[in-house]
Amino acid sequence: MRLLPPPALSTWRLAVADFIHDWRVSACLVLALAAVLAPLLVLFGLKSGIVTTLRDRLLADPRNLEVMIVGTYQLGPKWFAELRAHGDTGFVIPRTRSLAATLDLVGENGRSLAGAEMVPSASNDPLLRGQAPPQGQDRILLSHSAARQLGVSAGGTVTALISRTLGGERQARRLPLTVAAILPEAAFGRDAAFVSLDLLVAAEDYRDGRDTPMAVGERPFSSARLFARTLDGVAGLADRLRAEGLEVRTRADDIEMVKAVDRTLGFIFAIVAGLAVGGYVLSLASSLWANVDRKRRELALLRLLGFPPVAALAFPAIQAGLIAVAGAVLSVMLAYGVAHLVNVSLASNLNREEFVCLLRPMDVAVAVAATFILALIASTLGGYRALRIDPAESLRDV
Amino acid sequence: MTDRLLDISDLVCQRGGAEGFTLAIDALSVHRGEAVGITGPSGSGKSTLLDVVGLVLRPSRPGRFTLAGSDVAALWAGGRQTDLARLRAQSIGYVLQTGGLLPFISVLDNIRLSRDLLGLPADPNGEKRLIDALGLGGLLHKKPAMLSIGERQRVAIARALAHRPPLVLADEPTASLDPTHAAAVMHLLLALAAELGLGVVVVSHDWDLLSRFGLRRVEAQPGGNQTRFAG
Repeated sequence: MRLLPPPALSTWRLAVADFIHDWRVSACLVLALAAVLAPLLVLFGLKSGIVTTLRDRLLADPRNLEVMIVGTYQLGPKWFAELRAHGDTGFVIPRTRSLAATLDLVGENGRSLAGAEMVPSASNDPLLRGQAPPQGQDRILLSHSAARQLGVSAGGTVTALISRTLGGERQARRLPLTVAAILPEAAFGRDAAFVSLDLLVAAEDYRDGRDTPMAVGERPFSSARLFARTLDGVAGLADRLRAEGLEVRTRADDIEMVKAVDRTLGFIFAIVAGLAVGGYVLSLASSLWANVDRKRRELALLRLLGFPPVAALAFPAIQAGLIAVAGAVLSVMLAYGVAHLVNVSLASNLNREEFVCLLRPMDVAVAVAATFILALIASTLGGYRALRIDPAESLRDV
Repeated sequence: MTDRLLDISDLVCQRGGAEGFTLAIDALSVHRGEAVGITGPSGSGKSTLLDVVGLVLRPSRPGRFTLAGSDVAALWAGGRQTDLARLRAQSIGYVLQTGGLLPFISVLDNIRLSRDLLGLPADPNGEKRLIDALGLGGLLHKKPAMLSIGERQRVAIARALAHRPPLVLADEPTASLDPTHAAAVMHLLLALAAELGLGVVVVSHDWDLLSRFGLRRVEAQPGGNQTRFAG
């Protein structure tokens, strides 16, 4: 089976043969393309790399995803269900009044820590950074500073003292707890015990003197710990809660700074790319036009021999396509080489897995496809000129 | 008249406006396998005639114009450039005054050009016969720029005949050669066309040369800024 009708096949082969025969001119056009495209790819890679690194650094600290709820409210099960269903929500867990959410801890060696925060946690809590969450009422995780003051390590045990004043009488309950893990210092700066929601609720009930506790799924809570799924989702979640009358705080400034860098670099890139690409398309169009002029006799001969008019149009288009493919391949190789050099030479400023210059395969594919399409558009000028060549021109010396 | 390959009558072609030049073909026919020589002084419109017969110049009044069974007058009237191109590819082989070869492909690829364009199957025997007769065996993989003018004209003949077009048009095919080579090339062209049964129209100012090969002569009848052909 033939993929192409014979005239199309012949035209393709002749255009390729001419491209190779005229290799000096072809090489110039390919190099000219690479001279424009390779720096643009590197520039775009720098923009991607810088923005991605800034974002990754923000993301590396999950507290940047947090929407802190300030104050005390009445948040029912329905409110939590709606928030969980929201697309921007990454993690949400109820928390009790902050006054009730403290406990005193005593280590095995007798060292004690008063007034540690009880932070409710569960699986997918970003602050746990992949650690197994606290479970039941006897396993907790400790923040780095809490563990240091108590002198315990993972696997050790501590005793919690939860005290209350009931009917003027001071009472305390002692709870033996296993320390399942210690969180790194960067995860949480203050003295805290990460506990299951059950333990937190039980502590609150005990403090409030409730002997028949309300089930977790039915009771209202006064606050929540809330994390967005992405950096871009933080502002949306915060706005939503503000609209409900809650006071919230985020690290919006840091996030906004990265977005501003992204926008600014994107704008600069668009201007540079627009000028460079516009200039190149014009120069390629005029080169192909001039090529058609140089090859008038040959194109006229092809028409005389019975090549259809569309073959004359296709001739510069095929060569433009070849220039685009060869130029794009060369540019991509150069850009990856330069990106590697940049990343290696600036490696001292970077953490592992970070890039100054980042060329994503998808971005490169878009650039190559755009190059191809623009080259074909640039060829239409020469193609139009070729289309108007009179086959009779080949019959005499012009 | 089934054996009429080319049949033209009452055709007028005007060039360059009112002050320009007018070509009138009152009658011109070529039978299948016949060789015709068109002669006349330079500037007498021989080339214009060849443009019209070669389907690249649109006559102002096509009159009656058929080629290999196709109504050329109707194709021109309909502006059907692609169909005209196909008719050129199938029915006409061109031998030009000089050149007529593509510089960027080899001699062999030039010879095969028309067969490739038409999608015809390879014809090793016919191809070898042409190559041997024209003495091109040692040149096949060279590019045209490396050939002498005489060699190029022989390649051009092979290219014009390779797809066995019923009509071969030759425009002063030997004008750029010295007399000895000219006679040899003209002989090869006419002998091969006769062997293959192809009609030939040769335009030349050199009737002395053409007369040696027994061509039917059609002579330009110039008069002022108008030339008539009839034959």
